[in-house]
Amino acid sequence: MLSPLQATQWDLRNAAHLLNRAGFGGTPDEIKAFYQLGFDRAVQFALLGPDDSTQFPKPAWARPQDLMEMRQTMMLMSPEDQKVVQQDLQKQYRQNDLDLITWWLGRMRYSPNPFREKMTLFWHGHFATSVQKVRETYLMWQQNETLRQHAFGNFGLMVKAISRDPAMLIWLDTRESRKDHPNENFAREVMELFTLGIGNYAEDDVQQAAKAFTGYRIDPRDESFRYAPFQHDDGEKHFLGKTGPFSGDDVIDIILQQPACARFIAKKVWEFYAYQDPSGELVNALAQKFRQNNYEIRPLMNTIFRSAEFYSHDAVRTQIKSPVQWVVQTSKVLETGLPRPQITVNALRQLGQLPFAPPNVKGWDGGKAWITTSTLLYRYNMANFAVGNGPLRIERLRRVANPQAVAGNGFDVQNFEGPDLAKVVPQQVRGDPKRLVAYLCFRLFQDPLTPRDTEAFVKYVSDHGPNPDDDSLRELLHLMMSTPQYQLT
Amino acid sequence: MSHIIEPHTSTLHTRRDFLRTSMLGAAVSFTIPVFLQKTFFTLDAMAADSAIQTATGKDGTILIVLQLAGGNDGMNTLIPYADDAYYRARPIIGIPRQNVIKVNDFAGLNPKLTGLKGLYDEGHLSILQGVGYPNPNRSHFRSTEIWQTASDSDKVEPYGWLGRYFDSCCKGADPTVGVAIGNESPQSFTSANPTGVSFSRPEQYRWMNDDKSGASEQIYREMNAPDPTDMRALDENDGGTIGSLAGSPTASRHGESNLEFLQRTALDAQMSSDKVLAIARKYPAGVSYPRSALGDSLNLVGRMIAGGLATRVYYVSQGGYDTHVNQAATHTRLMGELNDALVAFAQDMKAQGNFGRVVLMTFSEFGRRVAQNASNGTDHGAAAPMFVMGGAVKAGLFGQYPSLDSLNSGDLAYNLDFRSVYATILDRWLRAPSKQVLGRQFPLLNLV
Repeated sequence: MLSPLQATQWDLRNAAHLLNRAGFGGTPDEIKAFYQLGFDRAVQFALLGPDDSTQFPKPAWARPQDLMEMRQTMMLMSPEDQKVVQQDLQKQYRQNDLDLITWWLGRMRYSPNPFREKMTLFWHGHFATSVQKVRETYLMWQQNETLRQHAFGNFGLMVKAISRDPAMLIWLDTRESRKDHPNENFAREVMELFTLGIGNYAEDDVQQAAKAFTGYRIDPRDESFRYAPFQHDDGEKHFLGKTGPFSGDDVIDIILQQPACARFIAKKVWEFYAYQDPSGELVNALAQKFRQNNYEIRPLMNTIFRSAEFYSHDAVRTQIKSPVQWVVQTSKVLETGLPRPQITVNALRQLGQLPFAPPNVKGWDGGKAWITTSTLLYRYNMANFAVGNGPLRIERLRRVANPQAVAGNGFDVQNFEGPDLAKVVPQQVRGDPKRLVAYLCFRLFQDPLTPRDTEAFVKYVSDHGPNPDDDSLRELLHLMMSTPQYQLT
Repeated sequence: MSHIIEPHTSTLHTRRDFLRTSMLGAAVSFTIPVFLQKTFFTLDAMAADSAIQTATGKDGTILIVLQLAGGNDGMNTLIPYADDAYYRARPIIGIPRQNVIKVNDFAGLNPKLTGLKGLYDEGHLSILQGVGYPNPNRSHFRSTEIWQTASDSDKVEPYGWLGRYFDSCCKGADPTVGVAIGNESPQSFTSANPTGVSFSRPEQYRWMNDDKSGASEQIYREMNAPDPTDMRALDENDGGTIGSLAGSPTASRHGESNLEFLQRTALDAQMSSDKVLAIARKYPAGVSYPRSALGDSLNLVGRMIAGGLATRVYYVSQGGYDTHVNQAATHTRLMGELNDALVAFAQDMKAQGNFGRVVLMTFSEFGRRVAQNASNGTDHGAAAPMFVMGGAVKAGLFGQYPSLDSLNSGDLAYNLDFRSVYATILDRWLRAPSKQVLGRQFPLLNLV
């Protein structure tokens, strides 16, 4: 189990696979450059990419508010004014939500270190928290930064940080939990979903852990974590076979001692990056590494990215793209920007993965659950938009008819016009339909298609003459993306 | 192949049509992908199996499953107003006695459920009290899974109860035999041979393109139908050149690979979108529905029923029931939306003359704790009521209201197993062998 891939097996296809899974894929040139790094340096690059924080400064609104002062000011207002202020605040939050999603997708798309963003996306799905309940965008941004900071760090430290994270304190009601009324929500989920998995603790352990997590508050002056000792139950707890006046951190330490914890996380990470239902042996081997390394995440990822299993037929081109992966990877392979926020956010919602708004604390099921007849057709239609068809085509025609006209049909064509076909379908591949289709197969799938599919696309190109016009090429891209194969990576 | 179909000129109606037209009689069986092979071989068996049902869409019974997601507070839905223990446990969020719509001298409905009381009085609504299962689980996910798969609480059942019904009774049927309104497919639809489609906006439930010539459409249809040249699925062990084609079929160690799954879903999408769109264009809303997500969903179900979509089971859901904090306002709004949407749907079905053909059943993963919590909300509980509505339903209160004096860890103890309700619906309404679908015989209710 977990034999390392031989350096001699490092080829263009495996390089594309690592780039797709560890990050969000890339253009043919980017894949070639990644391949040319060699296996060792490519894996290193995926684990220790450059820091991009100066390129992605925090949004202007990402700062704490003095809730106490706000409350006091509000109290002096008439009820009507209070209502107006509340509504304005909600409106501002909604705008900020949109901004936050755009900010993160932009970072995934343009960061020189997309690998850290991918890992952060994994942890967001793992510690799934929704702005629907948290309300305030700043807290969601802050949680996102916490996850990013620990993404490749230490899992134990990350769980402790998350147990104090203000967004999580709201999401799972820890801030409501009092000594005489412990709230079980966080105590249950921290074991069921964040560390151990169901069946590895008893109902009584939930109640005991709930006592340990009492006294966690949010400071109304700056929205930071505050420990309130008078609300903390410092009595004896009987937790997972141990007894003592445990704190929340003690409870997390006891959880980390359970072999089930390393297995649970290792399996979930493997399923996110490689494939579903790994063998028990593989999970145990990974879990052992994970525990040996004191729950350090980077060595775990190193083992995964270097394993032959990660590049096996079970793994390569078998994963159904998540909606976020679909959107970011599409933008990369077509070398376009991201469609403007409203369009992107609406698409992600329809496709079932709006960042910062997971359906529940379990996160997104993923895999086959991404695909229904409804979401599959939506992906195909989103591809139509991404290649510059539909409303974008109408806009282009309008501008041809009236070059003076400014963009005004609601689609921000300056931000998004679809692909530059001179770049995406270079001149040198255009003369020969077979060569053109083979080239686009590598760009879109990083793999050849079946003979039938290849022939159908070659025929489509041939039918449009020796030099297909831009409209035909866009439609060809749309058709190639309107396939089951394009949904895989 | 003796018969070549022209997908653009002849739209296929069912997966079975597709197989018949393209594959039967031709010596191509060795190239059929695994997912189709299964269906293919079941065709012969079909005639012999009397349990197989065909949904024509014009007659036959229809089930609508309505999920109240998040754990509906059953005690503020059907209120034990005569029991002082209720008011002691819920001093703030208890519904005042004078506001309860009384059903009998012990229990009554939430004040917002006026329309449901009307349906009850006219004999078209039954209220099932204290529904649950042994050893209740209080996790949303696990308890939802138990309801969706009809499993015992200590067993994990891989497939959904409706999926098992489709599997045992609707083999070879059109994929629209199960319709989920929304973008997701419910866990109850999962099965060994998954079927069912989901959509929320008919006008967007189609493949859009800018090519007026139709050439593009034809390629789309071809690319999203089975590939007879695709032999990969046959050789599970090949790792050579064929296996390295885009999308290795050997992906999953368990059953259908992701590629096979995508191919099948693509075919279902293609075939069902033609029908759904045609019906949506021809059948506008019959009555005025309230403006809510649930109202929109049931409106769409109403139109599909009017248009005769060949569906046996529709699945809709209403979310937001996880009321841990300050639940009064939220729960009241949800009850109002539920009431208004169900009343409109009943009117629609009556106007269509289809009320006698439909049964709508509500369920939630659990009820909530008897005592309110420190945040004027309620935590996860156990037993709760269900509603069953329809022209053929026998109205009344079924079961006993669970006692508030003998609680099970602070929660109401169930006295009616939800699988008895499923069994009744399967046996008496869908005419399907419940014992086969549910794995054992549950007592039936005199519900329909």
